[in-house]
Amino acid sequence: MDRRDFLKTAAMTAILPSSTAVLASNQPSRSVRPGSELKIAMTLSDIPLTTGQSTQGAEGQRFIAMTIYDALFRWDLSQTDKPAELVPSLAESYSVDKETRTVWTLNLRKGVKFHDGSEFNADAVLWNFDKLVKKDAPQFDQNQANQAASRLVGVVSYKKLDDYTVEVRTAEPDSMFFYRVSAVYFSSPAHWKALGGSWAAFAKTPSGTGPFKLESFVPRSRANLVRNAEYWDKQRVPRVEKLTLFAMPDPSTRVAALLSGQVNWVEALPPDAIPRLKRSGINIFSKVYPHVWPYWLSYAEGSPFLDIRVRKAANLAIDRDGMSKLLGGYAKPAKGMVDTSSPWFGKPTFDIVFDPAAARKLLTEAGYGPGKPCKITLLTSQAGSGQMQPLAMNEFVQANLNKVGFDVTIEVVDWEALRARRSEGAGAKSNRSVFGLNNSWSIQDPDFGMLSVTWSKRIVPKGNNWGLYQDEIADKLCEAAVNAFTPEDRDRTLSDLHAYIVSQAMWIWVVHDTNPRALAANVKNFDPPQNWYVDLTQIEVG
Amino acid sequence: MAGFIAYRLLYVLPISIGVSLICFALTYMAPGDPASSIIPDDASPEVAAQIRAAYGFDRPLPIQYLLWLWRVLSGDFGVSLSTGRPVTDEVIPAMMNTLSLAGGGALLAAFVGITLGTLAAYRNGRLSDRAISAVGIAGMSVPQYWLAMVMVAIFAVELGVLPASGMGQPGDDFGRTLSFYVLPILTLATVPAGIIARSVRSTVSETLQQEFVQALEAKGLPAWRIFLHVAKNAAGPALAVIGLQFANLLGGSILVETVFSWPGTGFLLNAAIFMRDLPVMQATVLLLAMFFIVANLLVDILQMLFDPRVKSARRG
Amino acid sequence: MSVSNAIDQPAVRPAAARNIARTFWQTLGRRLRRDPVSILCFGFLVAIVLMALFAPWIAPADPYQVNMLQRLQPPGTEGFILGTDELGRDLLSRLMYGARMSLFMGLAPVFIATIIGGTLGVVAGYAGGWVNTAIMRVMDVFYAFPSVLLAVAISGSLGGGVRNGLIALSLVFTPSIARVAESVTVQVRTQDYVEAARATGAPAWRILMTHVLRNVAGTIFVFSTSLVSVSIIIASGLSFLGLGVSLPEAEWGMMLSSMRQSVYLAPLNSVLPGVMIFVTSVSLNLLSDGIRSAMNVKG
Repeated sequence: MDRRDFLKTAAMTAILPSSTAVLASNQPSRSVRPGSELKIAMTLSDIPLTTGQSTQGAEGQRFIAMTIYDALFRWDLSQTDKPAELVPSLAESYSVDKETRTVWTLNLRKGVKFHDGSEFNADAVLWNFDKLVKKDAPQFDQNQANQAASRLVGVVSYKKLDDYTVEVRTAEPDSMFFYRVSAVYFSSPAHWKALGGSWAAFAKTPSGTGPFKLESFVPRSRANLVRNAEYWDKQRVPRVEKLTLFAMPDPSTRVAALLSGQVNWVEALPPDAIPRLKRSGINIFSKVYPHVWPYWLSYAEGSPFLDIRVRKAANLAIDRDGMSKLLGGYAKPAKGMVDTSSPWFGKPTFDIVFDPAAARKLLTEAGYGPGKPCKITLLTSQAGSGQMQPLAMNEFVQANLNKVGFDVTIEVVDWEALRARRSEGAGAKSNRSVFGLNNSWSIQDPDFGMLSVTWSKRIVPKGNNWGLYQDEIADKLCEAAVNAFTPEDRDRTLSDLHAYIVSQAMWIWVVHDTNPRALAANVKNFDPPQNWYVDLTQIEVG
Repeated sequence: MAGFIAYRLLYVLPISIGVSLICFALTYMAPGDPASSIIPDDASPEVAAQIRAAYGFDRPLPIQYLLWLWRVLSGDFGVSLSTGRPVTDEVIPAMMNTLSLAGGGALLAAFVGITLGTLAAYRNGRLSDRAISAVGIAGMSVPQYWLAMVMVAIFAVELGVLPASGMGQPGDDFGRTLSFYVLPILTLATVPAGIIARSVRSTVSETLQQEFVQALEAKGLPAWRIFLHVAKNAAGPALAVIGLQFANLLGGSILVETVFSWPGTGFLLNAAIFMRDLPVMQATVLLLAMFFIVANLLVDILQMLFDPRVKSARRG
Repeated sequence: MSVSNAIDQPAVRPAAARNIARTFWQTLGRRLRRDPVSILCFGFLVAIVLMALFAPWIAPADPYQVNMLQRLQPPGTEGFILGTDELGRDLLSRLMYGARMSLFMGLAPVFIATIIGGTLGVVAGYAGGWVNTAIMRVMDVFYAFPSVLLAVAISGSLGGGVRNGLIALSLVFTPSIARVAESVTVQVRTQDYVEAARATGAPAWRILMTHVLRNVAGTIFVFSTSLVSVSIIIASGLSFLGLGVSLPEAEWGMMLSSMRQSVYLAPLNSVLPGVMIFVTSVSLNLLSDGIRSAMNVKG
């Protein structure tokens, strides 16, 4: 694509920061070592859905959706010294109508072909939108709709302007549309038709536009992918011949598989195994990314956290450096929703540190003290995506909080039950005695990460505001964020919002995961981005 | 005898209906929304309601049960909530993997158990008998998940001689494929080996005390020929216990499969429980229970063919 | 798992005649005293029980005292006889406290199942007819599941936790106990003295209490003891899968599971909870064996 064109069209309204769209890189040769194979142990218990919209959350997208498919925009994962930003992918550029701010014009990339050889164009875009939201369309697929129909919520209509231009209208001005649509992946309409219109058949031999093609897979076990030598983005043609993905939910199993040479890349390492791996010459990579391991607090009636002193006390009671030790150093103490290095951190007035004396004092002021502990129940899961080592970490937090005058009960449920309890809200009967919810959270999409948990308009079930948090100032700041159509405005409004909720001690923030990964010595050219996703096309195995 | 077999066969029917009811009920005892696992974090209430309706979770339970039973009878277990694939496509390969593991475990356990049990019976009361009995008891008392952990730590991690998990790749040669079976089968075989050894020991030693053996000894028959007679007599009960152990391995391998990430039914069930994947849970539990029923049926019939007297002792 | 042995081969032989029943406990005690292995196991189990009961007084340290600087110290470290766990807590103290929950989860479900299953079995056996059919066929349905599968499925569906684990395990053991109770009751019922009592027009409950129960109780007891080790192993297995106790409760299965990933750093510490489960289970099995052979019950 021509980067200047993109900037020109988008200049007035682009949320894409101009600095990150670095596509013209000077990578030289694209030679592939014959037989080179990247073998990844995923934490998933199954191979995600292969038809386009992958299942199993961020990890499913990381390994299936983003390898076999492309979206209109993608995360630029080559910038590894700051949080990744979205850059154009199947869309070459876009613009938003300046008057209404609800009409988006998407200019598609030309010359992109699906794995089956058919062409990607405006019809393919509409067809794929229909597969998610138009229930009477022949290609409507409930399984994919489950994953991504919500990505098109707020969209009132979409139409083709010409073969390479699509117009989308949203109900209200919504600068966050952009983040949401970046998770809609495009399957080949021609291939689906050739298979007699069967998504089940499509799942076995999928066809997208992505850098890898799926060769075969065994459910719950592994998926075999091969490189797409004709990939449209010449800089992102894979440097390995094969990519094999293994479903290995058990951490010890992943470690053992790496040590025995079964795989050469392991996701989410148990920290205690790291010294042993290093002894075997295995490389460990980790970096902070937009993830936080917090306790969401309840603002329902009867919650002690309605008192800001109790919220601050809880934040000050936790020994985050100790927690980091528990995690082998592979976690960064949190001072808010996002890391201090993020452009969205802002200038909070409340500094989150470990100060048990101050915590005790605040609790006393709030009316608790020796003989009258602040009784709370915290809800967590025994495992789950992004939950790190929930049991050990919760035991640690429990010990910390009890020391300053809390009386903590930890309730452990399974991951799906936790998600269900989250969607019911703090006011629901099931959560009546629960004042804190330990659910790790992703903040790379600010709409999902920050607005949906802060805004009173997004109180469950309309969003993820589990705690029924309702604050006039926060609401105004959220409103400003969805109306921010330039990168500068976006960063400014989000950092104001972030500074405010930290000053209010809205949640208890504990650590940011640094997501340790282990790569065998012969796996090269990996620099972890500050993102939930990774670019597997740049990896070499030699 | 034919009457007993017919009765025993017919009896499978009501039991199966009961089992299907339990399987169905099991998955609805779960607190919370059965559709929670398929509703994404950012779904609006409308999308969530639409998803619930699409899977029929908005219907009354008895209707859901009857619809489910009807589909199951026609071989359709529905679609996995977490993967969107037909459950049959998931459960059948998993069942095969569990069967091969349980079969291997049962064979090894039978070999070890029969050998040790017979040896112990012949050495009745002596030190070696006691040693073997102790090994048998130890075998049946081992928490298998723990043994699995220890085995992986020793053989896969420290020595690096055997793969730690999974079943390998399709292109693997025979030796490599076999190597994936070693640790799970060893682990799985310990408990049944202990049980079989104890059972064989008591059967063989009882047989040895019977008059006909003494008579044969008095006749001066060589030891190995007497052994053949003993073996023939002890075979029935031994076969029964082995069959039961095989049946038990089908359900008992949940923990072992989990530790070894063996893509069988136990691993599938564990994943399904934590993903709240109701159709997969129902199908796995139902299939395993049905296998268990059939295995028990075969054991009963076999045992009766060997020894018609059992009819009075074992009912239904 | 080892459930199989006990459950699938119910010892369907009543504790013989009435006069034996009367002296069941004396006989048992007298015979066991002559068996050194049983004495040893009994002693060991008593020690474990005492350790569990008196854990708060004899444990060298607070089992919940977290200390990140001392995590995964090897056994024999000063101040920590058996080392520390992944949060730096004293392992010996945690094993002592853990015995409480592990033993509880071994004994309680068997106790509950013995009461429920025993009652159902005796009623079914004594009443006969459709009552028998109704009770025993329902039992048969539960009996048609492999025990570990049933335990995991029930406890998993209910959402884990101690209470749900108790429910699951009790349900697993009830049918086999009911079967044993029923078959023994049927045999006792047809004995002359019971027939005689019935002929005198004595009420059913009195016959049940005075004649049937005391004859049946011994057999059920012998059978139930053989289930305790199975119960401990399955209960720990549930905890190991994450379906067990709540935090920060010490329990052997849970400890084993939470230290599983520490096996690379501190292999010895990580396997200790498993050793406790194993040794306890062996002792229980040996003792139950002793009881069986003492009372001449076939296993």
